[in-house]
Amino acid sequence: MGKVIVVTSGKGGVGKTTSTANLGTALALLGKSVVLVDADVGLRNLDIVMGLESRVVYTSMDVIEKQCELNKALVRDRRVDGLMLLAASQKNNKDDMQPEQMKAICDKLRTTYDFTLVDSPAGIERGFRNASAGADEAIVVTTPDVSAIRDADRIIGLLQNVEIEPINLVINRFSPQLVGNGSMMDQADVLDILNIDLIGVVPEDSGVITSTNRGIPLVYEDGSPGAQAYMRIARRLTGQRIPIPDLEQKGLFSNILNWFTKNR
Amino acid sequence: MNLSIKQLFGRKPKSSNIAKQRLKLVITQDRVDVDDRFMTRLHHELAEVLAKYFEFSASSVKMNLKQEGNSYILVADFPYTKFHDMSMRR
Repeated sequence: MGKVIVVTSGKGGVGKTTSTANLGTALALLGKSVVLVDADVGLRNLDIVMGLESRVVYTSMDVIEKQCELNKALVRDRRVDGLMLLAASQKNNKDDMQPEQMKAICDKLRTTYDFTLVDSPAGIERGFRNASAGADEAIVVTTPDVSAIRDADRIIGLLQNVEIEPINLVINRFSPQLVGNGSMMDQADVLDILNIDLIGVVPEDSGVITSTNRGIPLVYEDGSPGAQAYMRIARRLTGQRIPIPDLEQKGLFSNILNWFTKNR
Repeated sequence: MNLSIKQLFGRKPKSSNIAKQRLKLVITQDRVDVDDRFMTRLHHELAEVLAKYFEFSASSVKMNLKQEGNSYILVADFPYTKFHDMSMRR
């Protein structure tokens, strides 16, 4: 039986869809069978980020309305074995779907695929409830800024209420330089506030923009720091134990000051 | 507040530290903010049970949530005027 994991954040624009696309592709590259489900009804984007927009024929709404079979609605990603996409309807809105309907879809997918990753819309309303209805586990994506972290905390509370476990944190768009000069919270700061397990830190990487432009997930570019971070997270999702590298590269001056502070 | 070497050097406090302090405050508040409907329901149900044993006026009851460290404490004040045991009333 496969796992259903909802990828969510509360706040928009922190990298849910990018993370879903890259983690799904990375898991498929590791030999897992994966289906990506876009739960952002009315504002779908996972198809275009994946570069599969021209191949979408049916959506989850067609499956719910029994216009087509679930298997027929899945778009196969031809670049890697075992990766499928279930697109969201663009002409409906979130209230047209019931949480139980999404749960039924996830329960079916779970029997065939190792991983079902559900890309949640921003917000804490119906779209989020639909996206999390069929999930066993959650990945909460945040960036190291006050608004994203506050919203992440809210989402974590809601996920805990419905007993989704584990809830793993991805810190996205992390900048070692900004952390080094004290302008950005580091991973310890974020974890101290949110108090859940960290599954990975993705550094700020301009490659994300170009890969999204092209519709080719970043993980295909082996050398990029973002790709490496997503590959490591995917390995952790498969149960491999890989330490989380400390991405902070503090300047010498800051290190000396820290030494003094610690030893006072 | 503890004065660190960094501050002795005359640098401005790091904005990341400010962010963390502000977040901690606001998130504590967010987490304690149980919605009013829930508190009202809890109030009614507690009052129903306690009314079996005490006499009190509903208007004098106060209920609050507090945080201490990592846990939350529900503080409920039910000032009563009379104790009565329903089980003795047969």
